[in-house]
Amino acid sequence: MNMAKRSLTRDIETTLFALPAVILVSLMIYLPFLLSGYYSLTEWNGIDKEPVFIGLANFKRLFTGGDSFISSLVFTMKFTVLSMILVNVAAIALAVALVKKLRSANVLRSLFFIPYIISMTIVGFIWKFIFSQGFDNLYELTQLGFFDLSWLGDPNLAFYSVVFVGSWQSVGFYMVLYIAGLQSIPGEIMEAALVEGAGAWTKFFRITLPLLGSSITTCVLLSLINSLKVFDIILALTKGGPGGATYSVTLDIYREAFQNNNYGFGSAKSLMFFVLVLLLTQIVLRGFSRKEVEL
Amino acid sequence: MMKKQRTGIIILETLMILVGIFFIYPVFLMFMNSFKTFGEVVSNVIALPKSLEIANYITVIEKMNYPRLFLNNLVITSIGIFGIVLFSSTAAYILDRRRSKYTRFMYVLIITPMLIPFQTIMITLLKTMSSLGLSGSVWGLGIQYWGFGIPMATFIFFNFMRTIPKDIDESALIDGASTIRTFFSIILPLLKTVTVTVIVLNVMWIWNDFLLPLLMVNRSPDTKTLVLSAYTFVGQFNTQWHYAMTAMVLAVLPSIIFFILLQRYIVEGVVAGAVKG
Repeated sequence: MNMAKRSLTRDIETTLFALPAVILVSLMIYLPFLLSGYYSLTEWNGIDKEPVFIGLANFKRLFTGGDSFISSLVFTMKFTVLSMILVNVAAIALAVALVKKLRSANVLRSLFFIPYIISMTIVGFIWKFIFSQGFDNLYELTQLGFFDLSWLGDPNLAFYSVVFVGSWQSVGFYMVLYIAGLQSIPGEIMEAALVEGAGAWTKFFRITLPLLGSSITTCVLLSLINSLKVFDIILALTKGGPGGATYSVTLDIYREAFQNNNYGFGSAKSLMFFVLVLLLTQIVLRGFSRKEVEL
Repeated sequence: MMKKQRTGIIILETLMILVGIFFIYPVFLMFMNSFKTFGEVVSNVIALPKSLEIANYITVIEKMNYPRLFLNNLVITSIGIFGIVLFSSTAAYILDRRRSKYTRFMYVLIITPMLIPFQTIMITLLKTMSSLGLSGSVWGLGIQYWGFGIPMATFIFFNFMRTIPKDIDESALIDGASTIRTFFSIILPLLKTVTVTVIVLNVMWIWNDFLLPLLMVNRSPDTKTLVLSAYTFVGQFNTQWHYAMTAMVLAVLPSIIFFILLQRYIVEGVVAGAVKG
């Protein structure tokens, strides 16, 4: 076989191995993505044959005319910030406790992980049941005012309810990541700290936390992305209510397209969402990876 | 000093067990209430069931057409996993072994979609998939997961491929084995651990996914998935909590059994996937 022919068969082979992946990704992701770009410049209800080209009007409308997008954006940002803090603090606390030599450590780790393997829709329903039915009985039993509040009916409380339920579902996942991070810290470092007489808190804030840097970056980033995309839990728990108090950007995109049949406007929203997720992840990634400590 | 430490551990252990019980109590309540009669659920959610009401399960399994749903989930997940593993591992293999500008470009093309949120493309995806004839059927949905699963799976396979010495496949190629054969008989077996990671991550995702099935297969009861059907069911029976709880238990039970059986692989897979992904 001569060289030219050989290199040609090599190129064909390379293409054959990688092509299915390229084609599938193009068909299912790039093509719809490009179409979203096109539809965002049009007005279309999905039924008319041809979308009407209207330029940037959809994007102008997003930021000017009192649309639900802005309020859903505000909710999503508040939800994301609070969820990120809650879930990471709780996961680090659980991880630190469960790397200690407890007899029940393994059982407890699995226990905290269980909600993560349950579908988020079902998680939403479980808590809807507990907030609406279980809390009545718990109030009768304990007489604690806490259980008598309307956790899904009051707009302010409903916000905290969805943050809590979202965190409850995912905390085990982040805990497992932090445990892996903690286990990779060499034992000598901890012992050296003990010899030098560092107290538990000093040890935690001065040594454990900085050395956990790369785990923190990973978890913060993942919790950011997952919180921004929140959908299933809210749909099952509150459907965005009461009075739009838990109405997320993803829910807004879904409603705009599939219930109001505004495919053009919905596409504009979905593209803004893409830009938002991209920007925020880049900012957070830069911010956190600069603070990491190398061993 | 030692004694003080021991007491500390005992206090911590007691505290953690208490936190754990409170934490998992909602899941326990779901199971418990699925075994109660309607009257029992309404009168007291937290009381234990007087007797195990198996009738709930018989009714709900029949009403939901549970065997059908289970089969649908199984078909969707199997098709999805098969394609994701096959196409990602072959792509990752060739793109790692034959480094050039061309392969670099293809690699970036394949993994970039990890940055695009599903909600950004879902509107037009429905249109695209209907024109391709992939919406409205269980196998079509399975195939769609290929496109969505490949970016991250390729990324994970690609990173792992670097740890496999090139001599291994080069010597096979010199001996005259074809690239395809070399890949399937020599490389693929070496990818076992990372393949388990990819399978675990994708099974957990596809099995429990909600939004994509909602868009693609929600029209007919014959094509619904477990979670989708539970969603509809709970919506219809939202006052009959005993049936709703049973439907929810039936929807999550396969995941919980899967987790209990393969716990170690799942936790390791999740960690590996998150750290690399």
